[in-house]
Amino acid sequence: MPESRLNLYKQAILRNLHSPDTRPSSLSQSSVNDIASKQLSDLINGTVTRAEGNSCLLLGPRGSGKSRMVECCLNHLSVKPIVIRLCGWIQTTDRHALREIGLQLLQQTGASILTDPEPGASNSTLTGNEETNPFLDRSADLSTSTLPPTSHLHALIPVLLTLDRPIIVILDAFDLFALHPRQSLLYCLFDAVQNCRASSDNQGIAVIGITSRVDTIHLLEKRVKSRFSGRTIRTAPSCDLEQCLALVRAFLQPSIPIDEQTDIDEWNQVWASSVEEFLEDQKTLNIIRETFSVTRDMKALIRIMTGCVLHLKSTRPYLSSATLSASAELQRSRSSNLHLNRLSYPSMCLLIASVHVNTSGQPSFNFEMLFDIFRDQVRASSSAPVQVNGGSIGMAFQDLATAKIFISVMAPSNAAKEFTKYRCSVEREVIKKVIEKSAQTNLKKWLNKAP
Amino acid sequence: MTCSFPGYEHVCFELGTLLSMHPPPFIYIQDIESVMTTFSVIGTLLRALSDESYSSISTGGVKICHARVDAIACFNARLFYEAVINSLVQFEPSWEDGCGNWESDVEMKWNENMDAFLHGLRAAHADLCSKNHKGKGKGKERAGGGYEHVRLVIVVERAERLKESLPELLVPLTRLAELARLDLSVIFISQVGWEDIRPPLGASPDPYYIDIQSPSKENIVRGLVANFEAISDAQSSYNPYHPALKPLYAHFIAILCDVCFPFTHSPQELQYIAAARWPGFVKPVLDDHLQTRDKALDEEDVDMEDDSAHTSKGELVPPTEEVRMRLNKLFNASLSTAFEALLPRLTNAADWARANEPPGELLSFPRTFMLEQAKSASKAGDDKEEGIRALPRLSKFILLAAFLASTNPPKSDLRMFGRGLDEKKRKRRVVTKSAGKGGVAKVSQRLLGPTPFALDRLIAILGALLEENDVQPDRSLSKILTIPGEYTDMEITRVSVYSNIMELTAMRLLHRTSPPERLDGPPMFRCAVSYDTALGIAKQLDVALNDLLWDPV
Repeated sequence: MPESRLNLYKQAILRNLHSPDTRPSSLSQSSVNDIASKQLSDLINGTVTRAEGNSCLLLGPRGSGKSRMVECCLNHLSVKPIVIRLCGWIQTTDRHALREIGLQLLQQTGASILTDPEPGASNSTLTGNEETNPFLDRSADLSTSTLPPTSHLHALIPVLLTLDRPIIVILDAFDLFALHPRQSLLYCLFDAVQNCRASSDNQGIAVIGITSRVDTIHLLEKRVKSRFSGRTIRTAPSCDLEQCLALVRAFLQPSIPIDEQTDIDEWNQVWASSVEEFLEDQKTLNIIRETFSVTRDMKALIRIMTGCVLHLKSTRPYLSSATLSASAELQRSRSSNLHLNRLSYPSMCLLIASVHVNTSGQPSFNFEMLFDIFRDQVRASSSAPVQVNGGSIGMAFQDLATAKIFISVMAPSNAAKEFTKYRCSVEREVIKKVIEKSAQTNLKKWLNKAP
Repeated sequence: MTCSFPGYEHVCFELGTLLSMHPPPFIYIQDIESVMTTFSVIGTLLRALSDESYSSISTGGVKICHARVDAIACFNARLFYEAVINSLVQFEPSWEDGCGNWESDVEMKWNENMDAFLHGLRAAHADLCSKNHKGKGKGKERAGGGYEHVRLVIVVERAERLKESLPELLVPLTRLAELARLDLSVIFISQVGWEDIRPPLGASPDPYYIDIQSPSKENIVRGLVANFEAISDAQSSYNPYHPALKPLYAHFIAILCDVCFPFTHSPQELQYIAAARWPGFVKPVLDDHLQTRDKALDEEDVDMEDDSAHTSKGELVPPTEEVRMRLNKLFNASLSTAFEALLPRLTNAADWARANEPPGELLSFPRTFMLEQAKSASKAGDDKEEGIRALPRLSKFILLAAFLASTNPPKSDLRMFGRGLDEKKRKRRVVTKSAGKGGVAKVSQRLLGPTPFALDRLIAILGALLEENDVQPDRSLSKILTIPGEYTDMEITRVSVYSNIMELTAMRLLHRTSPPERLDGPPMFRCAVSYDTALGIAKQLDVALNDLLWDPV
């Protein structure tokens, strides 16, 4: 298969894997998500077309398609509403969140929503600033030209209803908003939703919370909960292996945009048959089944497939179960000695010494202890491999500490570095494997001396 | 794919393909031992990608713009935001403009918080896209060199620092693509595994892992030799980096790696040691060359018209195999001393090279010459030892007493230093090296580190030491001080003892552990000299230190 052709396939598959909106949507994975999607689009449609005030909670485990579903519903709308996206990980306080709402409104409507009711008052505060801090007033001046002053930010929420377009507020990581003190943002938003029901001349508003935390609703205070509609839409990951396999097949057989190349059909057939062969391989099936039983999160499978597809080369142009299992090893079940295989000699000595310390009953060690054990070993074995004067082994200790293989167990103090206590984060079995792989017999012997 | 260091072709291929096609939103690269090389390799790869990406077909007309930030340098959120956005749009703050950030005065500051940063990212993205459209309008005929959209790549180096310095940034960074809703990929590079950084509660999506094994010896040799071309200079012939010396350099690197590679796998460190040793290593060859050239010039004065002979003799030629072997033998021992001195940076490469410069006419010396020199150099000892040697005798006794007080448990003092009427033999602690089943072996205090002690105890031990090792009764006082030990008693209560202790504390040979403003109780100290130093002091004072230690050595 020619290189350029292969690259086309690679690119198309990677696009399928990593950009969710181009993912084959004809294969809607499960009935649960179908129902959820329908409910959600009904709700949003109600807001957009009939000016309803709606609130709901989208609940489902990680990677079950919550965000994608919302985006999908928004894309299929006939009227374009104002969409405000907040995320609990970013807007950690209500003030930040309100500021962000103001900014996003400004960007989408093009005009400042809140006109300053008392220009005199804000001017007086400005002049006050000028005297105390000449640097502050410039920023305050700039922000007033675009954003309402912070004292007026709370007035933003009721104003949301008076806009000329329906508005949709999406709260990602909803559970984190519920952890804000007094939940005032949520209270205001849900209150606005209720008020919208009362009056008829408003445009609609919808507040959609997205979360994976199951007990989110119990986090809400009573006054907030009573304003929330209580509607919970649940999503679920794909629930059986057949669907999962079908999805993988769809990923791997992308529709290649037809170029001027003449032999396109032929290559398509070759590719398709190779994919079929790959998917019928028992080992491939085993890996997919294993992954599926470990996690229902499609993202894990996607990572494994990515690693597998990336390693296609013109010399080895077809997918194979061997590369898939190598990729699964790297991306899913990451073995703990992955990085230790090529450690330098002093590092390995230190690891063995730490095993000896552990077997002698000490839970933690410092550099001096390890170095003492190492020195004894060099002295004891006449066939000591290399004499180390201390410089390099100390650096190796520091390297291991920065790589968090040795983890400090003491609070940082002004004690000398060589007496700071550490513990080893690598299990003895792993160290044993590493030493065996390094094929240095005297190290192996030394390790085996530990009881 | 371009690859700037041998052995990284695989990683470059994987990452290059990924970034130029459809990258996952979050990539995690782990490398334990040679992370600096990884930084530079990935930096070169990204530069190459952003230069050439949009002209090649395979990327599908995507322009890649990248930002590299170091999590050590960006120790607070503002610095981080500024660094990312400025380096994405390749903006450099200038002193004349008041060091403002990119478009900072337009509407809002991009560095205030995460919201502002996201808006800044979008603005940067829009700006980069609009640049493209302008360029497209100008040079439309330029072989379809337009790109459809811009992909941002943000590389965070030493990402493990984020966990301590900016923990609130970790989750938003890992989900940056979905938060900013841009074609964006975040790459973390770290020595530490993702499982050590991962925020709790599964708040971050798992990354696409790329693991980098430290380069093998052959690859390091190849990489270091390849670097020679970058620094080589054909201008002056008396130059250790003359292109003609490349074969010798390759040979030198091979020996260097033979000696040093087992101890460190970092190409940077090996390069550093090479830079320190190489000028000395080629010096004999260069000297030889200078001599022959001078001779040739002298001859030419006699025989002017032979022009071709001049050029051939003026050229620097690689040395013969025999010279190479001799150099090898002469310098082999000094490589490991260079390594021991330079890896912990006990000195710097330039100083070390100056100190270890071989003498002229080295090739005529016996082959063990450099070995002896290296030995004598290592014997000389470092500055700290010199400083302690120069201390007054009393201060040395105080340091020794402090070491004993820090190392021995207080309840052993009577046994170690007490003198009854009957000269009982001192009983030392009995240590079993490995306690049997279930027991915990005792570790000697010498290894565990110094413990704090009270000033009174120090003075008492000092008295015992002086009494046993340093009694020189003053004749004039012997009539007044008749009780045994009374003279020492007087000595240790002198003001000079206390002032010496304070001086040693100021030199940080003793650590004062109790705050100076505390008045109740004696001041506490901790000894800050190592066992080896203490042994050296004891030798100078002719005290058998090991007999005075509670834990047998």
